[in-house]
Amino acid sequence: MTDIALAPPRRLPWPRRLLDLVPGILLLAAIGYLGKVIEQSIAAYGKAHALHLPNIEYVLWAILIGLVISNTIGVPRLFKPGVATYEFWLKLGIVFLGVRFLIGDVLRLGGVSLGLVAIELGVSIAFMTLLGRLFGLKPKLTSLLAIGSSVCGVSAIIAAKGAIEAEDEDASYAIAAILALGAVALFLFPLFGHWLQMSDHAFGLWAGLGVDNTAEAAATGALFSEAAGKYAVLAKTTRNATIGFVVLGYAIYWAAQGRARAVDNKALFLWQKFPKFILGFLLLSLLASLGFFDRQQTASLANLSRWAFLLTFAGVGLQTNFRSLRKQGLRPFVVGAIGEVAITILTLGLVVAADAVFVL
Amino acid sequence: MNQEPSASRPRGLSLSIDAWAVLIAFVIAALIRANLFPSIGW
Repeated sequence: MTDIALAPPRRLPWPRRLLDLVPGILLLAAIGYLGKVIEQSIAAYGKAHALHLPNIEYVLWAILIGLVISNTIGVPRLFKPGVATYEFWLKLGIVFLGVRFLIGDVLRLGGVSLGLVAIELGVSIAFMTLLGRLFGLKPKLTSLLAIGSSVCGVSAIIAAKGAIEAEDEDASYAIAAILALGAVALFLFPLFGHWLQMSDHAFGLWAGLGVDNTAEAAATGALFSEAAGKYAVLAKTTRNATIGFVVLGYAIYWAAQGRARAVDNKALFLWQKFPKFILGFLLLSLLASLGFFDRQQTASLANLSRWAFLLTFAGVGLQTNFRSLRKQGLRPFVVGAIGEVAITILTLGLVVAADAVFVL
Repeated sequence: MNQEPSASRPRGLSLSIDAWAVLIAFVIAALIRANLFPSIGW
């Protein structure tokens, strides 16, 4: 999975690069669609035989099929470039998702999320740093794990890697740990959510705050309900918007230690690290709120978002490889796992408190 | 400047994945608005 994030540059003509993507994209589509077919087949079988079968969303099937392939035969080389496009489909899906939010709701829920994100960030970074020291991890690996678990799994780790001049090996490990822990959270969060009888809003907010990688946060929300998936993306997107500030903070810290170069232009640094797809999401939400699209057009855009997420969820399973965790031993994984459990409990407490105050 | 190229930037292409996602989404949205794109179901 880390091959994608840290791969060396390839110099091939663009038509060839586009062609290289096709097999993997077809694999994502096939797995996602198979998940949808399985979900519909189970529902149809239950209906035909008057059975009350549990409704297991296509999301879970797509992820499970991907996980099985990735952790048994592995993803063949032919498919890897296309499978790596799952991040593109995720971002495309989030931009299209804008039409399903009124801009007023975005600002209100985004405001609530931002307050909770600020608390989550401070506590998570402090706790992960303390844990890293207690377990004697390398300081920059600790920084990467803290950034990954507090802000946004993979993107934040990659953004921080260059800024704090961390080693490739540490970044690869931090990414592997965050993705594997996210995969575990993906299955556990919905179980707890149903057990606690959380609302779609509250669960979506919890998934967005507690699950680290954006694709996994979206999948976790979608596993609970479609509405929860929508709110999980909104909360996670708010969290993603803080990447620049957190990475800048770490860059300044490591530069002060004499172990990274100083940041000259902080405003430019913040802009470069800011996830631009958020602007697309906000603009589409604004246009939809102003009535720019009619009902049929809005439905088409919302469905395009669903199809893009379908490809993303297939990619989540295919990108998660538990074997890559063995390379660096158990200690960093234990630090990540303890941190994640603490952050999960913290974010659950925050969401329950916010639910009581704001009635989510 | 202490910057590395955006990790989400496809090598050799001038736009990042974020920019491609926004560009393609808005081109499709414009086509849908102009009724030049087929209706999409789920």
